[in-house]
Amino acid sequence: MTARDIAIRLALYSLLVAVTFLVCFPLIWAFFTSMKPKDEIFLWPPTLWPNTWTLENYRALLVGRDAYFQAGAASNGTPPPSAFFLDWFWNSVIVTVGTTVITTIVSTLAAYSLTRFSFPGQRAVPYLALVGYMVPSIIFVFPMFLVMVDLRLTDTLLSLVFGYVCITLPFSMWLMWAFFRGVPIEIEEAALVDGASRLRVFWEIVLPTAWPGIVAAAIFTVIVSWNDYLFGRVFMNSMENLPLTVGVMHFFDGTHVDWGLMMASSVLMTMPMAILFMALQRHLVAGFGAGAVKG
Amino acid sequence: MDVRIEGLSKSFGTNQVLKSLDMTFPERQFVTLLGPSGCGKTTLLRMIAGLERASAGAIYFGGHRVDHLSPGDRNIAMVFQSYALYPTMDVGANIGYGLKVRGMPRAERAEKVGVVAKVLEIGALLARKPRALSGGQRQRVALGRAMVRKPDIFLMDEPLSNLDAKLRTTMRGELKRFHLDLETTSIYVTHDQLEAMTMSDLVAVMNQGVVQQFGTPEEVYDRPANLFVAGFIGSPPMNFAQVEVGSENGQPVLRIAGRAIPAPPQFDLGTAPRQLTLGIRPQDVRLAALDDPQAVPGTVWITELIGSERLIEVEIAPRMRITAEVKSNVRANLNEALAVAFDASKVHLFDHATGLALPRR
Repeated sequence: MTARDIAIRLALYSLLVAVTFLVCFPLIWAFFTSMKPKDEIFLWPPTLWPNTWTLENYRALLVGRDAYFQAGAASNGTPPPSAFFLDWFWNSVIVTVGTTVITTIVSTLAAYSLTRFSFPGQRAVPYLALVGYMVPSIIFVFPMFLVMVDLRLTDTLLSLVFGYVCITLPFSMWLMWAFFRGVPIEIEEAALVDGASRLRVFWEIVLPTAWPGIVAAAIFTVIVSWNDYLFGRVFMNSMENLPLTVGVMHFFDGTHVDWGLMMASSVLMTMPMAILFMALQRHLVAGFGAGAVKG
Repeated sequence: MDVRIEGLSKSFGTNQVLKSLDMTFPERQFVTLLGPSGCGKTTLLRMIAGLERASAGAIYFGGHRVDHLSPGDRNIAMVFQSYALYPTMDVGANIGYGLKVRGMPRAERAEKVGVVAKVLEIGALLARKPRALSGGQRQRVALGRAMVRKPDIFLMDEPLSNLDAKLRTTMRGELKRFHLDLETTSIYVTHDQLEAMTMSDLVAVMNQGVVQQFGTPEEVYDRPANLFVAGFIGSPPMNFAQVEVGSENGQPVLRIAGRAIPAPPQFDLGTAPRQLTLGIRPQDVRLAALDDPQAVPGTVWITELIGSERLIEVEIAPRMRITAEVKSNVRANLNEALAVAFDASKVHLFDHATGLALPRR
């Protein structure tokens, strides 16, 4: 390696470190802020590393509700927003899991049939789905709200699941469609010749082969439903029914923002996603199916 | 078990790819379906496998009608051009999948897979995934998957076309061996005439959804039934020239490019003038002196060395060229005046209008 190569490499790595820092800085800042007592958050000049470490914000979020009821709900008036954090968290988990299960199953089956059976409109459906996904969801949200009113589903988690399935299904299906197109049909035919039934072929041959695609589509759905604000804001009313994204906005109370609670919520919100990605990144590696046919 | 097809037709929309085929694939024979791409050979194979439904007609295995049966119920095995190994399963599971589907216990399965793997010399690879195998190894796994089930009919769809030339030659011999060991009826699809000629007991030459000729490799090579078969089989391809029947001194002759050559004795031509197409393989053409009365003069168009032989293409009339295959030590210069003579006993004649071979004496 010449001196020139070393210089180039050094410059490249410095750039990468800088970009990484830039990307991670909000997360780092959120984490440290969530660990600071209230008065230190507004200290000038600001501290990155907390002078005093505290878990006060996390305690308020995670055991706030118990603390509120132990203190005697009636005498305290309305509970503080932080008392609902765990409700919001579970709401988001339930809605996300529900949406992902429905979207993934439906889109996998739909995409498979789109690539393997021929029927009118077979070629147009995937492209229409993609176009549908390009329409901003704010265009759908109010008509869908009216539908939810008719169905008497407003302010229920089910309405959110419906909403999220509607916005995630087209793209998820398109993604799976593109994936199934790459799964050679000979593999299935070989299994048919081997004596397997159609269903068995789908279950034992197609699904394992399509696994990376399914994981990718599911992760997309999880991200959309976990991070959505719009549908939660429009469809939901009661404090205890809100998803996380909408709930944490109650830490703004018009006059001031409780940045400690906000940042602690952000950290807790990010955690499940981070864990999910770390667990699944192995499956996201492309080229899983390579080698089945000529390669 | 023999395979018989009756009036088998297949259309995709308005495109008829098979036109009312009648054929019998005799028991334990190695039969090759040979033809250019799009001739319907793969469609025919897929219909025998049950992967494609016939538009009309019937298929019988050993006298039993099977065209209503699903592929899994026909006790066939098929090797695909792309090998079609199950990417998520290791080699052992790939070979044993057909047995697993049929509910064979794990231990018995492992034993059978072991035996086949040993025969195919892939015993050391059983725990590998297909993506970690070379082309030749994948090919063997695909064969193993077919062999392990002791099928009645062994179907192969261009199984060698994805291998390099050297491996292809080796595998050709091995496939033939497997066929003899398995004692099954084998049906093999290829567009490679060398594979067809070297491996087959019988060759069905197909074009445009019709079987042009069905016979032994010798028959299709020595007695092509029509112009298509004559032009398709043989390398370099057969020469064709327009000739006219005539007579000189009461003897029948063929007029070609202004010369009259004696009519080949194996044909009963008469002397009435008529148009025919003469076919002669380059191996049966020799170079002759310009004054040879039975040779046709021309000029050298191009020469090509193909190893131990040399191809000399001679233009005998505008846009009418005859290729002669001669020993590589025979040399000819471009534009040199030369004559070509045909081995009369090896001349093929075809009806100009129908393209059918003329009957021989």
